[in-house]
Amino acid sequence: MSRQKVLGVVVVAAVAVATGFVVAGQVKAQLLTPSNQVARYQALVRSVQDLEATNAESRRQIASLRAQIDALETEAAGRSAATRALRSQVADLRAHAGLSAVHGPGIEVALANGAPGPDTTGQARYLLNYQDVQDVVNLLFAQGAEAVAVNGRRITPLTAYSGSAGQVIVDQGPPLSSPIKVSAIGDRNRMLAAIDDPSALPDIRARQVQFQLHVTYAGSPDIALPAYDSSLRIPHVNKS
Amino acid sequence: MLVALVATVQIRSEAEVQRSLVGIDTTSLAFLIDDLHRANDSLLAEAADLQLRQATLRSGNVGAADQVLTDEANHLSAVEGLVPVHGPGVVIVIDAAGLKALDLQDALNNLATGGAEAMAVNDRRVVTVLPVEQTSGGAAIGGVVVAPPWTITTIGDANRLAEVASVMTKQLRADRRVRQATYRVEADVAIQSVVSVRPFVYAIAS
Repeated sequence: MSRQKVLGVVVVAAVAVATGFVVAGQVKAQLLTPSNQVARYQALVRSVQDLEATNAESRRQIASLRAQIDALETEAAGRSAATRALRSQVADLRAHAGLSAVHGPGIEVALANGAPGPDTTGQARYLLNYQDVQDVVNLLFAQGAEAVAVNGRRITPLTAYSGSAGQVIVDQGPPLSSPIKVSAIGDRNRMLAAIDDPSALPDIRARQVQFQLHVTYAGSPDIALPAYDSSLRIPHVNKS
Repeated sequence: MLVALVATVQIRSEAEVQRSLVGIDTTSLAFLIDDLHRANDSLLAEAADLQLRQATLRSGNVGAADQVLTDEANHLSAVEGLVPVHGPGVVIVIDAAGLKALDLQDALNNLATGGAEAMAVNDRRVVTVLPVEQTSGGAAIGGVVVAPPWTITTIGDANRLAEVASVMTKQLRADRRVRQATYRVEADVAIQSVVSVRPFVYAIAS
């Protein structure tokens, strides 16, 4: 092999090795970013899952404690007429606060995400949001609903709604996402007539047309709603 | 072959990121974690209160049950807006032309999410069962029109409420319809208005 040929092979090999390092470096840089993103995202998801598990456990504990307290109060009421009268008053207040399980005639409204489509607002308006749920709940209360639940979570006099990107948070509950069912006990004809009204729920109706948001509803002779299982603490409020 | 392997790994990594990000981004997840922490603290505090109540009932002391029930009646009367209340809080004044019931509803919901424990608008008590509605006369709470300017009175953690009120009034002032949006923190806010109980006709205790 001539000296020139050897030199040529060496140059080609050096260029190949250098190219290899450059390509490997580039590939490594491109691989690291996504895998770091995955790891970070997975860590966040794990945190959410852990917190949701704690949340569910706390709510189970609260429901259980309330049941035990109810039993102790019943026992005490059996011993005194005054206690019995107080207990009856508190039972009525608990029912109106959503702290008792109730059943009766009513309606169920089912909501579900639509399909993505062109949207000049830049928002994911095909997804359900907490305002949709709040609007439906308000409409039902305005029509005399006596008790309302969202995916089995009772609405109370202090209920607040929040959330983002298709997530709906009711009070201290875990996030809910599509499909969402709003159940209400009350005069079902009145509630059905209100929801049938084309002028009701204008934003939801517009997105029904634009993004095929799903909204269905039906009356029922008997709907059962569970008791509220979260906090109704108002530590800064004092009775005047 | 090596090139193909590397490319496959890379495409799978990217796909995993994209798939896991469907529906919720990392910023929203971080907010969610914050919300869940606050919610769980609140649930723990409620559980602690209930354990205390249970221990009092189990003590068997004379009058223990009556005291627990009286405290509970007072607490729930305040929750349901049946009695006048007072406490630290924030008073927000919004003067605007053209704001709708939805704007008022959003403002009240923001304050509730921000820790308001009792609220009133123009001396009209606000509870969830009395929804805010748009009527021909303007925004109404439980069927009663509340004409601007709106004075929103809130009781709760004044520091948290002040943060919410600050952001809210700043946003409102950027709205051309709004003439004035201010807030003040008060050590003792009084809410005198109350709502009346509507007896249940359809709902039966299970």
